[in-house]
Amino acid sequence: MKIKSERFIPLVVTVGQVAIFPYYIIWLKQVSLTFTLFAWLFAVFSFSAAWGYRVFQVKKTTKTAIPIVYIGMGMVYLLVGSMNETHGYLVYGAVLLQIILGFLQGYFRAWHVKQKSYHIQAVSHYLIVGFTMIGLSFVKVISPTVLITLFGSVLVGCGVWAFWKKEQGD
Amino acid sequence: MERITEFAKKPWLLGVLVCVFAIGVLWNIPIEKRKYGLSQSNVTTDYTGLLPEKVEQVIKTDDYRELQKIVKQANVQGQHISIAGLQHSQGGHTYYKDGIVLDMKSFNKVLHVDERAKTVHVQAGASWEDVQEAITPYGLALKVTQSQSIFTIGGSLSVNAHGRDIRFGPMASTVKEMTLLTPTGEIKTVTKEDQDEWMRYVLGGYGLFGVILDVTLELTENDVYTIHTEEIETDEYEEYFNNLLTNEKTAMHYARVSVAPSSFLDEMYVIDYHTTGEIDTETKLKDEQGVRVSKMALDIGRQGGVLEDLFWKTQKLYIHSIDGDTITRNNAMRSESTFMEFTKPAHVEILQEYFVPVDQYEEYLEELKKLLSPDDKNEDFKVHNITVRYAAKDEITSLNYATEDMLGLVILIQHGLKDAEMKDAQEIIQKWTDLTLNYGGTYYLPYYRYQTKEQFQRSYPEWEAFKFEKEQRDSNEVFVNMFYEYYIK
Repeated sequence: MKIKSERFIPLVVTVGQVAIFPYYIIWLKQVSLTFTLFAWLFAVFSFSAAWGYRVFQVKKTTKTAIPIVYIGMGMVYLLVGSMNETHGYLVYGAVLLQIILGFLQGYFRAWHVKQKSYHIQAVSHYLIVGFTMIGLSFVKVISPTVLITLFGSVLVGCGVWAFWKKEQGD
Repeated sequence: MERITEFAKKPWLLGVLVCVFAIGVLWNIPIEKRKYGLSQSNVTTDYTGLLPEKVEQVIKTDDYRELQKIVKQANVQGQHISIAGLQHSQGGHTYYKDGIVLDMKSFNKVLHVDERAKTVHVQAGASWEDVQEAITPYGLALKVTQSQSIFTIGGSLSVNAHGRDIRFGPMASTVKEMTLLTPTGEIKTVTKEDQDEWMRYVLGGYGLFGVILDVTLELTENDVYTIHTEEIETDEYEEYFNNLLTNEKTAMHYARVSVAPSSFLDEMYVIDYHTTGEIDTETKLKDEQGVRVSKMALDIGRQGGVLEDLFWKTQKLYIHSIDGDTITRNNAMRSESTFMEFTKPAHVEILQEYFVPVDQYEEYLEELKKLLSPDDKNEDFKVHNITVRYAAKDEITSLNYATEDMLGLVILIQHGLKDAEMKDAQEIIQKWTDLTLNYGGTYYLPYYRYQTKEQFQRSYPEWEAFKFEKEQRDSNEVFVNMFYEYYIK
């Protein structure tokens, strides 16, 4: 636990991902238009997550690209937040975004379970998610894309912070 | 075994699987993603999704007697019935508020092909494609049908549709015999010679005079044609077309007018089908081809501006490429349709069709240039396509759009659904209709009700006789729909 950012940023990422999930689902459902496509997009995500997880598992070096993973995930959410939902071709782009997001999340999870903080943070994670969702239930006027964009910015911020702290050696 | 396990653990293998699956998903993303018509759960619409309305019940049956019972009961109990096929009409012709909808798609059997008499006996819920599949092995083809074969026979006859044929007159003229379920619940067999003139009101009667149960259609040979294509200027078209009519070798024809900014309503291309004297019994019916590529090209054209110019150039290149090809009559009568699918929330693509006398075409287009903007890139009301078909003089139907030989301009339009955008579209379409009427033309009725009642009455002067007959034959208003309520009732 040499680097403080490695303790807290994963918590921000996991809590944020669960909290943003309902909003992301709304966007994905609007983009996919039919349940079949919606399910296929989830399948793409899931396969891609398995791929990302496996890539981390077989990695031989101890150096990780976690800050880049945060930034990558953040960029995906920022892109989703900025897209015009009325575009008919968006579903094709959504397939690519699901692959990237799935891969990065799989990679992140494989890294996270190896961290000592993973088990310590589990209870905190569930509690914070619960309170966050209660808080979000009172937010009724903000469009899902605003929250997705906000979370994307947080992730990019976390990535930059983690990268900088890593360089600094905390 | 160990090697296989090791191999399966390679991360790149998962990567390949992801890519393969993603390509599969991309390839199978359906072009038509919307739900419309009776497939929706709460309200029904037709193809455009405009005019949503709650209906009481949708009845799907393939039993004549059950249908008869429903109609008799409705006649006694004051219930209202509408008739639905594929629901590609756009003005609420297939449903009515709190009414019963008869979904006719189960009546889809081709009952008999008479090779010697060249006729086909078919149920009204069958599609033109069903008929083509049944008659092609006999070397037979339809005399008149729509350009696409997806529609139901009953639906097309109820709007007295037309297509690319220029020799056999209106579709109504190809109906030899028809079994009709009348508003009082009687099942009648009617012919052209029938003294009660049922055909006059049922064909092109928008489902207001009874249910077409089955029909006997006249057929012709499945001729092999050579395709002739040519680029011309719009001011050359009248002469070109009149020459074409005198050339007996030409069996079918249609044309497309440029809506691209740099050649707006100035350029056209024509496609003619010349007989070769051969009759085909072997060529298979073609499936939809190149749908995704065609859709992408159309979507590029939909963007307007230079991209619409690019789309027009691409179309001309394609048209040149098919010049001299051969095609059977049945295949020429089944163009692709899926690529036209348009899915954009808060927007709709609709059709309009205006008929102008053949000799008024050039003057009409000149006037039309003053009404429309050549480059609609930044406008809400966008004209994406204009095709031209010939509609021969019709003396059979009551609501008759071709009181003389006409050229029908089929227009594909996109506009927004906000109140102001709907109002703007209605204003332009009403002006367009007035312009058409001023040139002795009419407009087609299967589409959304942009036109005023006064415009309807001017276009269809026989509407009062139509209404009178409706009151006589269906005094309890068993067969009604949104179109009837708005324009005729």
